[in-house]
Amino acid sequence: MAAPAQTPPSDEYEPVKNLDQQTIACVRACESEAAAKTASDYEHIVWAYGVIWSLFAIYGVMLWRRGSRQAIEVADLQRRLST
Amino acid sequence: MKKILPIAFLGAAALIFPVSVKTIFLDTPIENQMGTVQKIFYFHVPLAWIMMLLAVVCGVAAGIQLRRDSKRAEAVSIAAAELVLVTGLGVLITGPIWGHATWGKAWTWDARQVSTGLLWLIFAAYVLVRHYGAAGSERLAAALAIFGAIDVPVIYYAVKIWKTTHPSNDVAGSLPASMWAALWPALIALLLTSMALLLIRVQQELTDVTLDEAWVDLDDAGATKPNPAPGPTPATGDA
Repeated sequence: MAAPAQTPPSDEYEPVKNLDQQTIACVRACESEAAAKTASDYEHIVWAYGVIWSLFAIYGVMLWRRGSRQAIEVADLQRRLST
Repeated sequence: MKKILPIAFLGAAALIFPVSVKTIFLDTPIENQMGTVQKIFYFHVPLAWIMMLLAVVCGVAAGIQLRRDSKRAEAVSIAAAELVLVTGLGVLITGPIWGHATWGKAWTWDARQVSTGLLWLIFAAYVLVRHYGAAGSERLAAALAIFGAIDVPVIYYAVKIWKTTHPSNDVAGSLPASMWAALWPALIALLLTSMALLLIRVQQELTDVTLDEAWVDLDDAGATKPNPAPGPTPATGDA
């Protein structure tokens, strides 16, 4: 059985067929609402993800600074012990 | 070994984290009712589990500290409490962000939110008492940590005991395999990061104790300790 002939994709814009204006407006409204919801969802996700890893990063920096202070104190102690 | 383990944990977390992000955002199906924002679940829930685990670790270590006067248990207790604050803050911020998108309201004063907020406040009190408390206040702080650990089952059962806007505890158990596949890497990455930071903080606390003892020995030998670096110094049992 021969495969059905496919219409090659056109570079030109094609008008909407077989849909009345009210249906087109309704479809556009639904698409717009869905796009807005997805955009809002991603904004919330980015904030949530950002907050978590920022908190870990801030705490990591605090530990690193504390470690640096301890290293200075250890060096000072060693210097005093050697004199 | 003491230095290698945290670095190994952080390295493993750095490797798993991109896998987790890819799985959550590219491989996992979008949830039917909540839509894309449900993906906050994959790091909000593991972070809440880690927060509760650390609260229990802190409470148990504080109990051992009270009973045996163990410096190691005391160090674990301090480190775990600080991480409860970090992870708890993450839970208390990401939860309302998720709630804002799904419930239309960030904070609904439901039992799980309130009991989690209470847990955070108890451990904030613990850390403040440890940092600024007078000599002997470590026993009061340990009692606070035990009290905080008791709040963990309250958080868990809050959705069963009271009528809340939070989903039930059965949600995780009823997840399809494709969603579990996204939850595991996120949980492992966050757990490894938390454990690495815990180990580093425990080691620092033990070093602080050793340094304090060394300065006291040096003082006894006739030398004087210089002014310590600025910043709060945690109270120690022998302070």
